[in-house]
Amino acid sequence: MVSTIRSEPRTFNRLTGRDTVTDTIGLLTQARLVRINRATDELEPWLAESWTVSAGGFSYILKLRRGLTFSDNALFTSADVVFTFKAVYDPKVGSPLAESLRIGGQPLQVSAPDESTVVITFPSRFGPGLRLLDGLPILPRHRLEPALEQGTFADAWGLTTPLSEIAGLGPFVLAEYQAGQRLVFARNPHYWRTDAAGIQLPYLERLTLEIVPDQNAELLRLQTGQTDFGQSEVRSEDYATLKRAADAGRIQLLDLGVGLDPDSLWFNLNPTSKGADPKRPWLQRVELRRAIAHAVDRRAFAETVFLGAAVPVHGPITPGNALWYDPDLPQHDFDLGAAARLLAEMGLADRDGDGVLEDAAGAPARFTMITQKGNTSLERGAAFVREDLKKIGLVVDVVPLDVGALVDRVERGAYEAVYFRFLTTNLDPALNLDLWLSSGGFHVWNPRQATPATEWERRIDELMKQQVVTLDGAKRKELFTEAQRIFASELPIIHFAAPRVYFAMSARVLNATPVLLRPAVLWNPDALAVKRPAGAGN
Amino acid sequence: MLRYFARRLAFAALLVFVVSSGALLLTRLAPGDFASELFGAGATPQTIAEERARYGLNQPILQQYAGWLRRAARLDLGMSLMYRQPVRDLVQQRAANTALLAVTALLLATLVGLPLGVVSGSSGRGVTSTAIRSASLVLLSLPSLLMALLLVLIAARTGWFPIGGMTSIDAADAGWIAWARDLLWHLPVPALALALPIAATLERLQAQATAEALQEPFVIAAFARGVPRRRLIWRGLLRVAIRPVAAIYGLVLAGLLSGSFVVEIVTSWPGLGKLMYEALRARDLYLVAGCAAAGSIFLAVGSLLSDLALAAADPRLRSE
Repeated sequence: MVSTIRSEPRTFNRLTGRDTVTDTIGLLTQARLVRINRATDELEPWLAESWTVSAGGFSYILKLRRGLTFSDNALFTSADVVFTFKAVYDPKVGSPLAESLRIGGQPLQVSAPDESTVVITFPSRFGPGLRLLDGLPILPRHRLEPALEQGTFADAWGLTTPLSEIAGLGPFVLAEYQAGQRLVFARNPHYWRTDAAGIQLPYLERLTLEIVPDQNAELLRLQTGQTDFGQSEVRSEDYATLKRAADAGRIQLLDLGVGLDPDSLWFNLNPTSKGADPKRPWLQRVELRRAIAHAVDRRAFAETVFLGAAVPVHGPITPGNALWYDPDLPQHDFDLGAAARLLAEMGLADRDGDGVLEDAAGAPARFTMITQKGNTSLERGAAFVREDLKKIGLVVDVVPLDVGALVDRVERGAYEAVYFRFLTTNLDPALNLDLWLSSGGFHVWNPRQATPATEWERRIDELMKQQVVTLDGAKRKELFTEAQRIFASELPIIHFAAPRVYFAMSARVLNATPVLLRPAVLWNPDALAVKRPAGAGN
Repeated sequence: MLRYFARRLAFAALLVFVVSSGALLLTRLAPGDFASELFGAGATPQTIAEERARYGLNQPILQQYAGWLRRAARLDLGMSLMYRQPVRDLVQQRAANTALLAVTALLLATLVGLPLGVVSGSSGRGVTSTAIRSASLVLLSLPSLLMALLLVLIAARTGWFPIGGMTSIDAADAGWIAWARDLLWHLPVPALALALPIAATLERLQAQATAEALQEPFVIAAFARGVPRRRLIWRGLLRVAIRPVAAIYGLVLAGLLSGSFVVEIVTSWPGLGKLMYEALRARDLYLVAGCAAAGSIFLAVGSLLSDLALAAADPRLRSE
């Protein structure tokens, strides 16, 4: 089986790598204590075969599978789990996973009463429970402990490390790395999982990740049968081509439903930031955001920007996230009259009859919106928003920037408005607190507030904090729906459409269950198989 | 002659210095940096600041540049921020791949472009010269990106050649002869994408130079003395007419490098262009500077070779 990735890995160590390729390598070569089945969203036993929760809901006692060995045949024990947690929280390691494994800024406490038992104590009750551990691969202590002790763990398992030194509990081992070309993974003969018939997994003897930076070239390779699938969904503009190939039976084209990542337009709501203009306070008014939400025709937006392969959305949680989506939240339907009234309430009026609104001082109602250069749907979306807002007298200057420059502007608060699309990494809102809490770094419109700047942000903070410590699922949903309701009314981020996600893979791929989260197929690598060519023996 | 080449060598060294310094400084001065690129939106300023300190990106620009210069003087181009490997090792490995592609493309372009230029320049306004000229104009008007995509598409439709990569998955295990054969099978698409526009440039220059040389008095005299036309054109005339072509060989090499940047990305050729693209995306400034230095070395070597070719073709330069 051959898949493609768009860039080189930066390390083979998932605890220190931040890039998606390193994450994919981790999924292939390492294993976690528990796994979220991305197709069903159920939590599954993985290296831990069972667990019990203490009465207070703070501690989990995990029983590890016995007799498992790493790919180098060394025995897996609870000491490896304790070591992994020690490494992830070590400040010298600077692991990108460390923050996501803290609750309220506090680390989890991990102990190992015996070789096959691990006790994990949370600093407080935590609604998602062990789902938190889905992203943490358990690493071999016998291989990496010296690096951790010497303070060199951050550089361990780099790209020049001999591959024989890398060991894991995943279905594959990294057999070959040809810089700039490919990564070849071979079956891990010591892998511990078997299928229902008792056959040892993985089914594949070899899996190759070809490095193809250009998406057009990636598409062509798929069409010609040189690769089996890529990591990203089908672009709207490629759908028709792939549909023809699917109709001819050369590929499988799957509709995964509505995507998790709607486009996002937000204004800089931090009054003290570099981008805030004291002469134009109307840029931070909720009436402006509501007017924009009314002024953009979402149906036409979906038709034009995503060539019809999208659905209108009114909030950050799309129908793709079925558990947490609520269709009854307040919506700002297309209504130019309502938009005009809201703008008039703010004192914006066309004072000189040129079709552009002016504020009380006579300055035109104009703002700059930055977006990501080179992303075709974002560039089309920004142009669509600009044209629709022109109809209500607002002038938008769209400035496409490289993603690095865009992030830099957002980080420094040096912008007026941003049009962007975030990638959702977790379905559970309690694992995305950085967005919802006013103290969060991902609370993009006004991040890292010492105390909530507004009453509605204070209320969302309260609801989310309560949601996180609630163990009852129905109650958690109720609290989150209320937080979404406030969000939909205040519109700190305006959403227009979520694309439908299509995924293409070659006709010979078997047992794949593509999902909306990335990587779409390789999240479940041990089940993958390929159809043998006709006439091939067993 | 020696002084002339010493001067050219000094110019080459200056070129490498200016290009790599410029690349480093421009990458450093552009908005954003490796740390902000690494974390994306949402990271705390403290986290980003720690990462900057870890990589020395928090130093003032002049201090950073001076440090890099000191190391570069000892041929140490620093560590890649992205790969945590010495830049020199990364660049060496990829430069060899780009050199292979560039030399193949240059050979192809020269072997195709020069003879066709002589033919079209010496055959007046006949069908052959019109056909060659038209083909050259079409190839000249196609940007490298389009040419690469077109060839990739042809390869995909026909299945004659692989549409990307440098070797097949199993090539390394099959012995070096099979590996070399596999490499040669992967070369045509990227090499032609690079070579065809250059062949067209060379053809146009050579055609014009040949046509002009045909008007020289010594050529007319040679014809008058009964020297066969074919011998005169392919032996006597070529040496005179090749001078303007030899003079632009350095620039052709520069064109090859900028073209290879795009071609390597489209055809997944693991060369310098692809490495620099990744380095620019990640704002890995030491790697960007290293790639730029390698690119300018290519250019400098090209210029020197061009001067050598010119000196070989024009005795007046040898006596300078």
